Amino acid sequence: MIRTTSPQIELSHLHRVFDQAHAVNDVSFEVYAGEVFGYIGPNGAGKTTSMRILATLDEPTAGDAYIDGFSVVDDPDRVRRRLGFMPDYFGTYQNVNVYEYLDFFARAYGLAGQERLRAIGEVMEFTLLDSLAHKPIDGLSKGMKQRLCLGRTMIHNPSVLILDEPAAGLDPRARIELREMIERLAEAGKAILISSHILTELAEIADRVAIIEQGRLLAVGSVAEISAGVQSRSTARVRVLRDADRLRQWLAARDDIFDLNITGELAVFTHAGGRESEARLLRELIEAGFSVIEFGAQHKSLEDVFLHVTEGRVQ
Amino acid sequence: MTTDAVTTEEQSVDAAAGTMAPSRAAALWSAIDRFLNHAGDWLNPILVKETRQALKSSQFTITFVLVLAASWVVTVGVVAAIGPRIFYSAEGGTLLAWYYAVLAFPLLVVVPLSAFRSLTAEREDNTYDLLSITTLKPWQIISGKLGSSMAQMAVYFSVMTPCLAFTYLLRGVDVPTIAILLLYTFFWSLGLSMVGILLATLTTQRFAQVFILVGFVSWLLFMFYCGVMWGYGTAYYGRSMLGGVGSGFWIVLGVIATSYATFFALAFFAAAGMITFTSENRSTPLRACMVVQQAAFVGWMAAVWISGNFRLEFVLVMIIFAGLYWYVMGTLLTAERPGLSQRVRRRLPQSFFGRMFLSWFNPGPNSGYMFVIANTTLIVVLGMFAIAFGEITSGGGRGGNPTVEEVVDTMVIGWGYIVGYLGIGLLIISALRRIAKVTMLAAVLIHLLLLLAGFGIPYAVKSMSIELREADYSFLQITDPIFSIRHIFDGGVRGDANVLLILIPGVATCVLLLNMPQIIRELRVVREAAPTRVLQDEAELHPPPEAGPQNPWDEPA
Ligand SMILES: Nc1ncnc2c1ncn2[C@@H]1O[C@H](COP(=O)(O)OP(=O)(O)OP(=O)(O)O)[C@@H](O)[C@H]1O
Ligand SMILES: [Mg+2]
Repeated sequence: MIRTTSPQIELSHLHRVFDQAHAVNDVSFEVYAGEVFGYIGPNGAGKTTSMRILATLDEPTAGDAYIDGFSVVDDPDRVRRRLGFMPDYFGTYQNVNVYEYLDFFARAYGLAGQERLRAIGEVMEFTLLDSLAHKPIDGLSKGMKQRLCLGRTMIHNPSVLILDEPAAGLDPRARIELREMIERLAEAGKAILISSHILTELAEIADRVAIIEQGRLLAVGSVAEISAGVQSRSTARVRVLRDADRLRQWLAARDDIFDLNITGELAVFTHAGGRESEARLLRELIEAGFSVIEFGAQHKSLEDVFLHVTEGRVQ
Repeated sequence: MTTDAVTTEEQSVDAAAGTMAPSRAAALWSAIDRFLNHAGDWLNPILVKETRQALKSSQFTITFVLVLAASWVVTVGVVAAIGPRIFYSAEGGTLLAWYYAVLAFPLLVVVPLSAFRSLTAEREDNTYDLLSITTLKPWQIISGKLGSSMAQMAVYFSVMTPCLAFTYLLRGVDVPTIAILLLYTFFWSLGLSMVGILLATLTTQRFAQVFILVGFVSWLLFMFYCGVMWGYGTAYYGRSMLGGVGSGFWIVLGVIATSYATFFALAFFAAAGMITFTSENRSTPLRACMVVQQAAFVGWMAAVWISGNFRLEFVLVMIIFAGLYWYVMGTLLTAERPGLSQRVRRRLPQSFFGRMFLSWFNPGPNSGYMFVIANTTLIVVLGMFAIAFGEITSGGGRGGNPTVEEVVDTMVIGWGYIVGYLGIGLLIISALRRIAKVTMLAAVLIHLLLLLAGFGIPYAVKSMSIELREADYSFLQITDPIFSIRHIFDGGVRGDANVLLILIPGVATCVLLLNMPQIIRELRVVREAAPTRVLQDEAELHPPPEAGPQNPWDEPA
């Protein structure tokens, strides 16, 4: 894809070292306006840490990050005007209702008069909170709280949204609602960074994803690209009549075949090269005179992709 | 007669607690709420939110009702105790003292404590992060918290106003006394709230916070005790606080007011600095505050000195206090984080004079050290002028205690101790910083330990050695500032004093020279241009004023 604009979110060799852990280790990626970018990794991967740095709540040990071109280290005040951050917890005030909560944050972002009333109205309508305006926030359900959080995050109409596991704890219906909201926000031209543990959850809405594990970026790209990288390898099975020994020699001589394992007449191996080359392999087998009675190549599911990329090191 | 009074009071208590009050209160509450919603754009958001919360919170209602109840109990109790004398003797003072005790508890304990708690609770409830990423400036957060303290104070004052009017009717107290009592208490409470807020910003660790909370509550209770005693004294004996006051009264009031204002500002900027992001310049406003504070202090000391016939004692008092002040501030300034952020570098002074005079205000431990040296040197110079002036006006023929020599020696040696101790501490801190992370607290502790070693080691050696134990002063104790300076005043042998006079400033100068390379490195940092993106944004936010017509004949473009 050719980009004409500069990135809305840019991480540049970001590091964050805690006493014990190197939570973020040389992470770089960019997110553009109108893009939904998934940030995926197992527990303790460093997602929240890097998001807190982007939100100016923490400081990088080395490297820098930029929101709309402004450094989070040197210009946090400018970053804050352009950024909405939704943490993975709900910050609650006692004795405050939904309207007052939004009103407080609208004021805190410097909105005044009619502008403030309009912003609150729009946000309540967008997040379907209209009917709950006078409900105390202590009494909200998880789903309502999550919507209120999202509303608070967008009250000052930021151009960048950073959402830390927004779908955690939501029922399927609420997830669909959330997904629609996020899609609408992206259509409105906002750059959105969303974290999750689950790749499949983001596969449908994320234009691109980054996979992080133990602080390191393992892969960046569209879900299709990443899975293509993984899917160029498949687990193939070939069963032939009689010629098992010749098959072993024939397969072992090829350089696109690994992990060969023959039991009886069945050969199981890993094949690299994608679908076209699988078809070619079958043709060559037949031309070599094998009586092939079974040929199959199994590709990986998204979950397998994730497990493959993180090499099963999920904590 | 007495019983009648009691029943009327009780009836009114019943009436207020009855059905009428809630509905009226509710109407008032919703009126306030409407006001907050529409007219409050210029109000601090935190103030608006916390007022709304308070109106709905049971804790606030309970305190409010308790104060009301206590004032009724006091009224009934005191009126009953006075009995019929109420008609002919002036008993206002007794009642005022009691009312004041009722008022002092919420003002001196509850309000400051809730200021402390409201900031720590933000951290516990995870709202602090949400608040700090809004575009609210740190000073707005602090002033919002202070504002809601003031709003609470206003409520308590308004509860007590009718009662205080009643004491006036009983005679025995005049309006200035009541007014001054209330005014002082207002500022007292505000100051304590500021301290509470500052304490709440000091640490984010749960354990340390509990520790601070316990200390703070004990201190507030002690303040309450002092407040009650002071109120009692004023109500009884300060019949007319403004009657027959001399110039001394105004000087004392001026000194109190300026030191209150400057310490308040210092605490305010310190608290705001604590919650500001680290790349921001948090040091310069504090240093400016310190200079203003020192100027005010020197000014008042000069006023006292002039009205006190240019006596040397005042000079001595001034330099001792100034010395202590700059040592304490020096331990904090040299504990600052080293290295200037890009953000700070964008605003460094650039012109020749700017670099010459304002570089001391740049953040950083080494410039902090130079800042303290500059100020202590200034104090020494001022002290010298004052002494010279005093000598000229008195014709130089004044003997007595302290002598000119003693005061001059104290100044020079004191200067040496401050420069030396802070400099050695700074060397240790910078060395440690190469191998480990030294926090501000650790750096201050290093200074403290150094000073303790200076006092403790000679003391230990002295008490262990048999010959030295009997001796009065030996050069072993040269690291002990108090002992050494006292030695000068003991009319110690002149020879000793001369050695001290050479040795201590000499060592201090060496320490300063050792620190020079890093001081120069820090001061050589020059301004860096802001990134173009920042300049663009700045131009968008504050567009240059459009060129309008220069005179009435100009055609609008
Ligand atoms: N304040 C902290 N002090 C010390 N270590 C921390 C701190 N915050 C995070 N860490 C460590 O940094 C690593 C990354 O944590 P982080 O919260 O960023 O992970 P995450 O990807 O958000 O995980 P999860 O999916 O569980 O939310 C972890 O090993 C964690 O222990
Ligand atoms: Mg997390």
